[in-house]
Amino acid sequence: MQTVSLFIPCLVDLFLPRIGEATIKLLRHLGLSPVYHETQTCCGQPAISTGRTSQAVRAARHFIDVFKNDEIIVCPSGSCVYTVKYEYPELLKNDPILCRQAAEIGKRTFELSQFMVDVLGVNTTGASFHCQAVFHESCKNLRRLGISEQPKKLIENVSGTMLLPLKEADVCCGFGGAFSVQFPEISEAIVEQKVRHFIDSEADVLILSEPGCLLNLDGYLKLKHPDKKAMHLAEVLCRTG
Amino acid sequence: MQRFYAARAEGYPLVKINTHRFKEIAKEELKNTYSRGFLDIFSQFFPILRKNAMESFSDPQEALEKSAAIRRDVVARLPQLLDAFENNAANNGAKVIRVKDGREANTVIVNLAKKRGIQYVTKGKSMVTEEIGLNQALQANGIDAFESDLGEFITQLLDRPPFHIVGPAMNVPVEEISDIFIQRAEMKTPTLDPVELGHAARVYLRNKFHHAGMGITGVNMAVADTGTIINVENEGNIRMSKSSPKTQVSVMTLEKVVPDMQDALHLLRVLCRSCTGQKLAAYVSMDSGPKKTNEIDGPEELFIIIVDNGRSELYKDIQSRQALQCIRCGACLNTCPVYTKIGGYPYGWAYSGPMGQVLTPLLLGFEATEDLFRACTRCGACRDVCPAGIDHPKMFQAFETRRQERKKIPGLNREEMIIEMGFVIWGWLVTRPRLWELTARLTRKALSLPALSEPLKRIDGPVKHWTHSRTLPHPASQTFREHWKALKKAEYDR
Repeated sequence: MQTVSLFIPCLVDLFLPRIGEATIKLLRHLGLSPVYHETQTCCGQPAISTGRTSQAVRAARHFIDVFKNDEIIVCPSGSCVYTVKYEYPELLKNDPILCRQAAEIGKRTFELSQFMVDVLGVNTTGASFHCQAVFHESCKNLRRLGISEQPKKLIENVSGTMLLPLKEADVCCGFGGAFSVQFPEISEAIVEQKVRHFIDSEADVLILSEPGCLLNLDGYLKLKHPDKKAMHLAEVLCRTG
Repeated sequence: MQRFYAARAEGYPLVKINTHRFKEIAKEELKNTYSRGFLDIFSQFFPILRKNAMESFSDPQEALEKSAAIRRDVVARLPQLLDAFENNAANNGAKVIRVKDGREANTVIVNLAKKRGIQYVTKGKSMVTEEIGLNQALQANGIDAFESDLGEFITQLLDRPPFHIVGPAMNVPVEEISDIFIQRAEMKTPTLDPVELGHAARVYLRNKFHHAGMGITGVNMAVADTGTIINVENEGNIRMSKSSPKTQVSVMTLEKVVPDMQDALHLLRVLCRSCTGQKLAAYVSMDSGPKKTNEIDGPEELFIIIVDNGRSELYKDIQSRQALQCIRCGACLNTCPVYTKIGGYPYGWAYSGPMGQVLTPLLLGFEATEDLFRACTRCGACRDVCPAGIDHPKMFQAFETRRQERKKIPGLNREEMIIEMGFVIWGWLVTRPRLWELTARLTRKALSLPALSEPLKRIDGPVKHWTHSRTLPHPASQTFREHWKALKKAEYDR
């Protein structure tokens, strides 16, 4: 059984462990053996995006230290993968050794759906889930990692799930990390429009593959539309019935 | 930086800069149901127009890359290209004047007008004159300025800042236009018919063109190789402003220069598609100097004012330079999730949306502009459509880094202080997994206790702001790490 290393975002560890649990189930179902290094902390994205370089470097060094010997690293968040693959080499450019290590790790780090479809060649997980769903394209996945077809293909092959079109599916949900707490009113206006399109689509489930967007959309739905649901792709892919 | 900002601000005694009121104005604008409704339709409609127009290129992506490469090249060779442009324009008979800031530009233009006994000028839409507050400077010297672009004409009558760099009045309801035309533009009967409103503006402005002694316009491109200035428009008013009066004044910022006609023509194609979804604007005019002796039409004298206004200063920084690649198409505004909710007023100066968020802090300093570069979700939609190759989110990240490097702890307010301390603790914990885990567990516990989370929802800070429109993330019964440990233990026991 091939071993894959789980890179679990801190948001998932703290607030959305169910995404991590689903990721384990999914990888085991595909005949892989996921391992989780309990020494992992945070990739450093919050420090990087707010310009806190010294703290970001600490996080990056720690990450490299934890993951440097892993052959394959899989993560249920595109923005964390983006951080490792593209922010690290830039962040560590003054330290050639670390920078090269980061670039090497980056090549072995994959977003979950990308790993399944592009690396394993899996198109279906044999899941079944009776619902009408729409898919929200998370920004880093779509624009920086080129991930869009992979999750949609996997969703389309879930038995019983009908994937409906979502208007402005590629427009941001308004999370943006610090943005959502620095500009709560603007963030609300953006998430409100996203949810309006979701409701207009008449789907019952909004599927996405980014924990940050999930936190935002789920939090908004729970407050304003408790009958509607947002789910992470990994949760959908290991549903049976 | 503080000093830099003060020096810049001093240059604009006549323009109101409201960048520090970003949050406040944004909150107001979010409540404006009319402009919200308009922006909703606009933001769905415009990107499609743009996309369809771009698809008329055999390879749209290649066309974008080519225009970005041209702009990068311009910025790399800016000093040389400007010199070449200056020489060639002078050889064509234009008088080229370089000015260091807005105040100097205004003084030069006012003096040109005064010397010629000019009572009023007609203007073509120009963002740089908004930047330097030229209209106010002219007004203060007893010279009337008539904006002749329909949108700009409306905002001038209403005394409002531009809502969008391309469509300055596109948010103004037609009823309001009718009212203001009756009050201030000699329209006789109220009408909601856009054609009649357009006609009223035309009648009013035609008379001004007829007798204008001086026309002032902006510049879309200045071709170094030929000394030609190019203007792009859809109403014909710029051409009119450039050709009817005896004296033509074209105002440009130094990054408007392009190497040669071939590059200019490619940029023109990409600009019009990105801007309004047209393959080419209705009017494109190119002027190489004033009227020659054997020509019948055209201005007798042409002044080209090249405004620096802080650009040479920002040019010194290799990273900031990228801001000068912008060609003012407005595509980034039309696709920005923030701009399309709040419109252009909160940005507080001439430039709005992502391009403004990049340029304004660099020109004014970071002191009163930090809300501008923070009001970004980092989605990258702007970067994807930018024909000039600007990576706006990356620029904002770089601004944050610079801001952090210059940060002074005593100057922080309470909320900033909490965040700062949070990051210090975070940076310490991030390399200490055991303590990290303990903190995660405690945080989860704390958030699940209403006695703790309820007060946090009331004091200014991340929790209060998050719960503004969302529930607090429901803390799971165990962290993922705890789940993993339990799982491993169960498997081991078996």
